Amino acid sequence: MKLSRCLLGFLAVALLSQGCAFSRGTLGDDIKPDVVTSIIKGTTSKAEVLNLLGAPDRLLQLNGRDVFQYYRYDAKAGSLLLIVLNFTRLSIKSDDLFVVLDKDGIVEDVIASKRTDGLEFRFWPFGD
Amino acid sequence: MTWQYRIVSILFLVFLCLSFQGCNIVRITLNTTLTSEDVAFIVPGKTTFTDVVAKLGAPDSITDSDTGFVATYRFVDLKYSRVNFGWLAKPWTPIDPDLIFSRTGLGIDAFEVLCDKKWVVLHQGFQRHLPRPPFYPYPFQRS
Repeated sequence: MKLSRCLLGFLAVALLSQGCAFSRGTLGDDIKPDVVTSIIKGTTSKAEVLNLLGAPDRLLQLNGRDVFQYYRYDAKAGSLLLIVLNFTRLSIKSDDLFVVLDKDGIVEDVIASKRTDGLEFRFWPFGD
Repeated sequence: MTWQYRIVSILFLVFLCLSFQGCNIVRITLNTTLTSEDVAFIVPGKTTFTDVVAKLGAPDSITDSDTGFVATYRFVDLKYSRVNFGWLAKPWTPIDPDLIFSRTGLGIDAFEVLCDKKWVVLHQGFQRHLPRPPFYPYPFQRS
């Protein structure tokens, strides 16, 4: 009895997992939190920022000040391809870092957020 | 349970399964959708951009303006559903018929924050006030 239940359970799992797909895509380099914390307001220079993070993805002008923007996108897709119907969910999140430099080329402010940490593979398309 | 009832039940189940064949439901999200409740803490003239970043994270873009700058938070919630009713005729026809109903709801929106040169929020608002798109594959509805 137990063996037949185990076999049935194994068959159900095997059949369901046959129609599964996992995909992932990333854009940009990872923005490491320790690198971000090493940038100190009023101390770190433009050259040091470039040395730590490389050339920015975008260079902005904000009221006469330079702003370096770094970003990274992470996309995770999960598909459940059942015999009767298919569910697919693609979640994309971004990490953004803005380094505001004053007119002397010293870091004035750092605005950063890491949204990709909580990004998971999901199949269920309903709900949040 | 009579044999007629059993046959009707089985036929109904087969019909239901066949009508779901070729049914696809897809959802694509970019960042977390912001609602008016999420941004209710922002009081123009009082809240600073640092407070906004602390609650909502870094924006997707910052652009220069005469009064200061505009920070934009973008988000997308795309819903797609498709049913192929042609599958219903498959067991009875030698050809492969298609009768597809599909609908895509593009929930693209952005939340914008206008700050002055001292980083105090002057204005805030959503670019569009779109309702969240539904998952109905029926394409002939007015809205």
